[in-house]
Amino acid sequence: MISFKGKPSADHLVEHLESFIQDTLARCTQCGECFKACPMTEYGPGLKEARPQEAVAGILDWLKGVPNHATSLDWLKVCTQSSVCIKACPENINVMKMMRTAQISALGSLGAQPALKSRDEKDFFRKINAFSATQLTTEEIEKWQR
Amino acid sequence: MAALSPPSDKVTFWYGCNVVRHGDIIYNAIALLEAVGMEVTPAGGAGYCCGTKKDANLTAAQGMGRRNVEKFNAHNTGQVVSWCPSCYRHMNAFISQYTEPQFDLSHFIEILYERRDWLATKLIHPVTKRVLLHQHLGFHEVDINPMVIALLRLIPGLELMTTSPLAPAHMCSELSRVPASLKVVNQQTCESMRRSGADTLATVFHSCQRLLCGLEASESFTVVNYVNLLAQSMGLVSVDEYKDWKLAGTAQAVIDRLGPDRVAKMGEPFFHASILPELLSPPIK
Ligand code: SF4
Repeated sequence: MISFKGKPSADHLVEHLESFIQDTLARCTQCGECFKACPMTEYGPGLKEARPQEAVAGILDWLKGVPNHATSLDWLKVCTQSSVCIKACPENINVMKMMRTAQISALGSLGAQPALKSRDEKDFFRKINAFSATQLTTEEIEKWQR
Repeated sequence: MAALSPPSDKVTFWYGCNVVRHGDIIYNAIALLEAVGMEVTPAGGAGYCCGTKKDANLTAAQGMGRRNVEKFNAHNTGQVVSWCPSCYRHMNAFISQYTEPQFDLSHFIEILYERRDWLATKLIHPVTKRVLLHQHLGFHEVDINPMVIALLRLIPGLELMTTSPLAPAHMCSELSRVPASLKVVNQQTCESMRRSGADTLATVFHSCQRLLCGLEASESFTVVNYVNLLAQSMGLVSVDEYKDWKLAGTAQAVIDRLGPDRVAKMGEPFFHASILPELLSPPIK
């Protein structure tokens, strides 16, 4: 169980991401352990031969808003939030969140030129509503989903 | 020895978005929470989407995050119990960093596990199955696999095997972003089922149930979410309609199983353009 106590660290999402980025850039030593531990690198073209330190440097570039289109992008594309990287990091960085924030940057949401396609699924909410209508009663939808 | 009845706690049960394909999971999860003494306010669907998919639109993501926290605060239960690991993760790692939640956040499994002594007293009907558990390694915030294993071991008559390799990602929907990896996981799962001699593959998450249940069309095992196994042992009968649609095989058979009223409710053109293709697509193998 998590208790959310006290004031939040930021007033809005981008402010939080900026502070997470600054903290990560300050602490990451680019040792490459997270990349070495990643179970998904076998699915990215060129990742098997990539130097771990270079892959991580590319991710940090995305955090800085500097586009890095080679290895780092291939790594971002195959990240499926396995969380193995978190346990591998000697600096206790939430590497999965680091990867997600780099994805956010590569999507163009933090000012860099977009290099990744959005994961937004077409008609996502319409589908959710359609399936809801097959599984729940009108009263449940009214009570539980508004 | 467990007390006769568990203490009652008010909770908001945040079931999520994509799980609405599986009413059986939602109803059984609520029944299980109630069985261990919870007074449940369910909340989910599009109006409670956590926004985790909105990384390309941070204004929308932030709006959805704030909206959820405001609604949960207004529930006044003091405790939100999440079903979906993505919602849990997104609330913890992102939303709570710029909002003021007036509630604690738990995952569904933590509540059942904590109250497993009471749950055990309700699991009185044998479920005679040889079950292999499908497991992922990515939900690092909550050590879910050992807890699911402990709960399934409470079911009389159920033989549990845990020899399936740990799949990457926190659930199968994440793997579907990298289809080659989903294919490998599905092949390994089928191979593990054959080797173990299990007759039932138990999924932990809804998206695994969604993406694996279609395997029944070509394999000789059934695919069941673990909450349905627990519910069955409590004497509850549930029907996995989504699986039934996935196994229908043809457009007409899907329509027959859904019934014309429900197809009409979804809107026929939308049903044909968006729902039917999902229901007719076989699992990657
Ligand atoms: S393991 Fe940690 S410190 Fe090393 S490169 Fe990865 S994030 Fe940086």
